[in-house]
Amino acid sequence: MVQYNFKNITVVPNGKDFIDIILSRTQRQTPTVVHKGYAISRLRQFYMRKVKYTQTNYYDKLSTIIDEFPRLDDIHPFYGDLLHVLYNKDHYKLALGQINTARNLISKIAKDYVRLLKYGDSLYRCKCLKVAALGRMCTVIKRVAPSLAYLEQIRQHMARLPSIDPNTRTILICGYPNVGKSSFINKITRADVDVQPYAFTTKSLFVGHTDYKYLRYQVIDTPGILDRPFEDRNIIEMCSITALAHLRAAVLFFLDISGSCGYTIAQQAALFHSIKSLFMNKPLTIVCNKTDLQPLEGLSEEDMKLVMEMKAEAMKTVIGQGGEPTDDQGVLLTMSTLTEDGVIAVKNAACERLLDQRVEIKMKSKKINDCLNRFHVAIPKPRDQKERPPCIPQAVLEAKAKQAAEKEKRKTEKDLENENGGAGVYSASLKKNYILANDEWKEDVLPEILDGHNVYDFIDPDILQRLEELEQEEGLRQAEEVDDDFEMDGKELTPEEQQALAEIRKKKSLLIQQHRIKKSTAESRPIVPRKFDKDKQFTTRRMGRQLSALGLDPSKAIDRARSRSRGRKRERSPDNDGGDTMDMDVDTPNKRLRMRSRSRSRSVSRPPGEVVPGEGFKDSAQKVKAQKLAKKSSKKRNKDARRGEADRVIPTLKPKHLFSGKRSSGKTDRR
Amino acid sequence: MRIEKCWFCSSTIYPGHGIQFVRNDAKIFRFCRSKCHKNFKMKRNPRKVKWTKAYRRLHGKDMTQDSTFEFERKRNRPERYDRNLTENTLKAIKTIDKVRSKREAKHIETRKKGKKAQLMREAVKELEQSINLVKAPGAFKEDNSLTLPKIKVKVSQTQAENQPMEE
Repeated sequence: MVQYNFKNITVVPNGKDFIDIILSRTQRQTPTVVHKGYAISRLRQFYMRKVKYTQTNYYDKLSTIIDEFPRLDDIHPFYGDLLHVLYNKDHYKLALGQINTARNLISKIAKDYVRLLKYGDSLYRCKCLKVAALGRMCTVIKRVAPSLAYLEQIRQHMARLPSIDPNTRTILICGYPNVGKSSFINKITRADVDVQPYAFTTKSLFVGHTDYKYLRYQVIDTPGILDRPFEDRNIIEMCSITALAHLRAAVLFFLDISGSCGYTIAQQAALFHSIKSLFMNKPLTIVCNKTDLQPLEGLSEEDMKLVMEMKAEAMKTVIGQGGEPTDDQGVLLTMSTLTEDGVIAVKNAACERLLDQRVEIKMKSKKINDCLNRFHVAIPKPRDQKERPPCIPQAVLEAKAKQAAEKEKRKTEKDLENENGGAGVYSASLKKNYILANDEWKEDVLPEILDGHNVYDFIDPDILQRLEELEQEEGLRQAEEVDDDFEMDGKELTPEEQQALAEIRKKKSLLIQQHRIKKSTAESRPIVPRKFDKDKQFTTRRMGRQLSALGLDPSKAIDRARSRSRGRKRERSPDNDGGDTMDMDVDTPNKRLRMRSRSRSRSVSRPPGEVVPGEGFKDSAQKVKAQKLAKKSSKKRNKDARRGEADRVIPTLKPKHLFSGKRSSGKTDRR
Repeated sequence: MRIEKCWFCSSTIYPGHGIQFVRNDAKIFRFCRSKCHKNFKMKRNPRKVKWTKAYRRLHGKDMTQDSTFEFERKRNRPERYDRNLTENTLKAIKTIDKVRSKREAKHIETRKKGKKAQLMREAVKELEQSINLVKAPGAFKEDNSLTLPKIKVKVSQTQAENQPMEE
């Protein structure tokens, strides 16, 4: 709102800058190229455009200035007066008026020259006209430059004026210089006003904000007022006078009863009486400050009289508002800003009175009816004449009273903390309020970990009982163990039995091995009939050995075997059957002997290598050789139990060295 | 402060040791040292890794079920402090520990001792059943015990007679 926010006024450029801005803009925003060969209308149009463009810019800018600066008659009288006090209304108006004239002049210039340009006949002439037009416009501005400077200064100052809302709840502080007004405002608001021992420290109005009953109050600090005739007052004092005059606020008149401001109470009272006309219709409070230096009761007679006079005046304002005439609580107050004694009371009193006044006025005005129409307080209709006051049981009242008393007596934790050294030093005992079966246990430290176990996991109310059970169990178990140990020494095998067992196991494993070999080579190994027994397994000697190992007498078996395998008539030389021989026939040992003795004398057959002359052999050696060759050729091929010639036995199908092993470096894709 | 159990090897994790891993389904895996952590990351099953407690329990090397294990249970509801109870608990923990370790030692001892009696019985049975592999039924007539028969060294007469002849 222009009304009280002067911060949004655009910057007023100074004269030279103004001209530069406008001209450069014209230069940039209008076409710049023109030749004398163009059509004359085009040339005219070109230059007319420039002139008009410049004029419009000037017009716009000056209009903004004129519009944005507030008109003193249109704004709140408080601001009007304030601005008048600060800047002098006349000068202000004059400056704005000059700007206005400048604007009009420029428009006129532009109009004239455009008219002339319409009849320009050459480029040069048009150009000269344009130059002249622009030049004249700029001269106008140059002449107006001081006003522009002045307006700029005003604008800067206005922007820094405190944003006081003249219509809201306001508290005004006034009094002689150095009485403590700024200290007071520092105390109740967040404003940070300079407080110094010399007079007129505060040179202008300062605003702070404070809260009371959930409402915002403006507190305005004014410069001190001296007791002088109205005409002699300087600007600073006039500020406060203006504020007093125009703002509908609660007024706090500050009185320094100690006289340390340099002025006696008499002087202050005189001031009071001279400006009391300004306090019309405003809730007035007399505030006696600096009571730490001089209490109110200690005043002398005359001073007391003066103070009472002032109070009486103040009472008039109370009465004037229609408040109770006997209510003098909010009229004369004492306080000390140094000790902060009574400061809040003063603020509350002032706010309260202001609020009452405002509410009253609102109630009386017409607008309130609109609001009231919207409210309706519902009251239940009384059904009979019986009085039903609120009933509070006695116990509750007592409890409340006790609680109130207790609250004051009770020592809070915060107090305890402060006593014992403050926040960093003292740490509150959290165990203080524990509810335990026995209060001695409050400070006990419980171990959380024991021997690698969590103690909490073991806590159980019945742990003793269970422990007992466990111990019983353990006792039983130990008894059992002892029994078990006795049982263990049982029977053992004798060494002969162990030997027999070993033999059995050896034999079994042999059998298993053989079976495994047979199983694995079953495909490649044909079953060799007993006839071609090359391992010579099936001999009677072997049989005899095995049978005797088993504990039987093998003789009969051997005999039977032998008698079957050999023909009785056939006699063989003892060396013919290689290796282990078939033993001599047990039955006819003598016969054999006899045969042998006879064979030497007579030959029944020829010896094998003897050469018969008709055969064609050279000698017996040759014949023997030939016989051997003949035998060899008709020898049966030793198949060696193979199926065919290609039947090769692979002893190990998957030799480990071909199928396993890591490479030190490289891959194992192929082997 | 709590002592936790390592998820992989089931050893105790004291405060300040090890790593905890929280999966997206909010299951927490605690590891006592980087060995277990790395094994976990390799997705090894602790039931197959020989040195873990899980393996040992599964394969019966360590005691699995015992009443001493029931004393230690994670309780979620706190008990009101009682000094006597706590004292008793602390003492009880010690005795329970002793009992448990004794029982575990016994278990391992029985395991290591072997099946002496059973082997004995098996040996006897084998001896009775398979004695015919080394001793013919005929030999039982002379000697009724389960021992090897005495091998008779037969001196054959024919050989004795032959010797002088073939000289």
